Amino acid sequence: MAPPPGGLVVAFDSDPRSLDPRFQTDANGARLGDLLHVALTRADPTGRRVPELARSWTMEDRRTVVFHLRPDFRFADGTAVTAADVKATYDAVRDPALASPKRTALAALSAIDTPDATTVVMHLTDASASFLDATGLGILPAARAREADDVTTGAGPFRLVSVVRGDRLVLAPNPYYPDGPPRLDPLVIRIVPDETVRVLELRRGGIHLLEDAPEPEMVTWLAAAPALVVRRAPGTSFVYLAFNLRDPRLADRRVREAIALAVDRDGLVRYVLGGAARPATGLLAPEHWAYAPAPARRHDPRRARRLLARAGYPSRGRGTPRFRLVYKTSAQPLRRRLAEAVQADLANVGIAVDVRVYEWGTLYADVRSGNFEMASLAWVGVTDPDLYYLAFHSTMVPPAGYNRGAYVSRVTDRLTSAGRRTFDPLERRTIYARVQRRLAHDVPIVPLWWEDRIAVHTRRLRGFEPSPSGDLRSLAAARLD
Amino acid sequence: MGTLPGRRLVLLLPTVLGVVTLVFAFLHLLPGDPVEIMLGDWAAPADAVALRRDLGLDRPLAAQYVRFVGHAARGDFGQSIAFRAPVARVIADRYPATVELAIAALLLAVGGAVPLGVLAAVWRGRALDRIVRLASLAGVCLPSFWLGPVLMFAFAMRLDWLPVSGRGGLAHLVLPAATLALGMGGILVRLTRASVLAALGEDYVRTARAKGAPRWRAVGVHALRNALVPVVTVLGLQAGALLAGAVITETIFAWPGIGRLVVQARDYPLVQGCVLVIGVTYVAINTAADVLVRAIDPRLAEPA
Repeated sequence: MAPPPGGLVVAFDSDPRSLDPRFQTDANGARLGDLLHVALTRADPTGRRVPELARSWTMEDRRTVVFHLRPDFRFADGTAVTAADVKATYDAVRDPALASPKRTALAALSAIDTPDATTVVMHLTDASASFLDATGLGILPAARAREADDVTTGAGPFRLVSVVRGDRLVLAPNPYYPDGPPRLDPLVIRIVPDETVRVLELRRGGIHLLEDAPEPEMVTWLAAAPALVVRRAPGTSFVYLAFNLRDPRLADRRVREAIALAVDRDGLVRYVLGGAARPATGLLAPEHWAYAPAPARRHDPRRARRLLARAGYPSRGRGTPRFRLVYKTSAQPLRRRLAEAVQADLANVGIAVDVRVYEWGTLYADVRSGNFEMASLAWVGVTDPDLYYLAFHSTMVPPAGYNRGAYVSRVTDRLTSAGRRTFDPLERRTIYARVQRRLAHDVPIVPLWWEDRIAVHTRRLRGFEPSPSGDLRSLAAARLD
Repeated sequence: MGTLPGRRLVLLLPTVLGVVTLVFAFLHLLPGDPVEIMLGDWAAPADAVALRRDLGLDRPLAAQYVRFVGHAARGDFGQSIAFRAPVARVIADRYPATVELAIAALLLAVGGAVPLGVLAAVWRGRALDRIVRLASLAGVCLPSFWLGPVLMFAFAMRLDWLPVSGRGGLAHLVLPAATLALGMGGILVRLTRASVLAALGEDYVRTARAKGAPRWRAVGVHALRNALVPVVTVLGLQAGALLAGAVITETIFAWPGIGRLVVQARDYPLVQGCVLVIGVTYVAINTAADVLVRAIDPRLAEPA
């Protein structure tokens, strides 16, 4: 169908699961949620919480946060967004009967007071420095916050007009948006599952904007089209190799370090990703407020071989590996190529790698249950450094958290526990700098890269800025010439 | 004994039950937990437990099976995990698109294959026959995941005649229907040609010619009618391939049908519901094909 005049067509690879902030868990749902709803705060590119519906907030004490709301936000039906709407939305999510997947994120919240229409007081059960990270929850009208079905009425820059599952979603400007209603009318989200077809549609003009990075070769082809422009932004999605430290070989730090030294990350970025990433030193990208530069571990196969010999795995001559490892990966083409490249790098230091490709659900189940030796995984949408606690504290082995490799370090435990109780930003930053140095030393994972965000769009689109996390917020201020 | 459609309808029940049982068993044999996949990394174990309980996934497999079959019999396939909506509604939203595509592909395949097969048989060994045979072989061999993008590139990108993807007017239907039809058409052309060739050698055709029937009548009425019996039978069987092929074709052409729903990872209720609908459709088409075959060839009809 021809794109509507004045409207912008964006392609997604799959339907968003839910557009209701109480139930939204997937990336596409979050990207549309940003356009339909407003939250008390949102994360800026450095991971800091910045005002959105709340124009400011103060910590009365370590367990009380007071939010002062902007009075000028209105839902798409024209009613003003008040403290009562905020309270009703948060209370609904906290209600076990609603079975919201966001409930756990609000576990630290004990009660909400609304002394007036623009003031929200949140009482916490425990001092939690990462609590603000949970205030990105989109606000619904109070009257509808407890409905069991999806509610999509929000106060974001756009409103939802229609949905045809598997085909398209049509959004129109929210006329009451206080920063000026968007000029893109309508904003059409087309669901096109096949990447080649998304690229062909973009080239032919059936789609105006493609935000999720196509394969490097496709980007080159698109860049040659005079009507299109390729935009790159440093991204925050972090790809890494996970080790299972329950395996006696991988429990030895020297073996893990040897593998980290054997993997040529610069080569991987150049050849597997066509240069569309930055070699990573850890979970947090350099833009993040808590990022601390860790000593770079350069590709050094010689040192890797020495370390392996010292760890009790001497060279056994050409063709005979020191030992074998099973490497599990998802079936995504890029991940499979990564697996083959890592296999070649490790063969170079005498480690034989058996690559096993699994459908995502199977891989995820294996990783959660500890049924793996090595796997390639990613963290997407990291904002608060408290993730270090959830991913590396010794008590956070699944199902409690995400320490899938069963890494245990008293130092990391102490530091990550302190990080979640420390409110002073400078002090917190110092703590997480130490966490990052400790992890760089212990090598519980091998950081590979931070993926660049690559957006390709028509030259007629003005004012769109690709964001490190892949959100589409800048469409609120964009226009089509 | 009952009538044939009646008997087929009675058989439909155990067939569908068999399909449902197999799908249920295979889906639950797969490793991985749909709830964890659905909730993602950020959910707590307590919420996963709660959701598992809500979906009934914490019950014994046999109890889940009985519950599923009981609900399915009443047209309630449960709640889709991915779409947070009743499965019946999700399927009802998308089924018309699949039917539209399948009918278009069927019409294209039959409309193209039967005349070409007859012509190839009549002009056996001539240039047209060779071209048709070669083309039909290509149609059978080329997979839709290759053919679709090639057609798209040629007719949408290069020639700019048709839209690339999506569902809209008639123009949107051409490429996906052609992609789906070519494989089926290839088989039908070859079958029609072989059947017509066999019929042309039969006594009744020779008799018709001897009695002065023109050639077109001998071929078009006497030979074709008999030749159509195996063609219609295979057509019914191929309908299954058409529905299975829709999974790939719908994905390539961004066609919002139920084929794409079947590949929703771990959405047990949705996948079960879709397979059930596809299975019933398949059995219904085959029943219709059986009835049609008997209408074409009264010798196959039941004795009164």
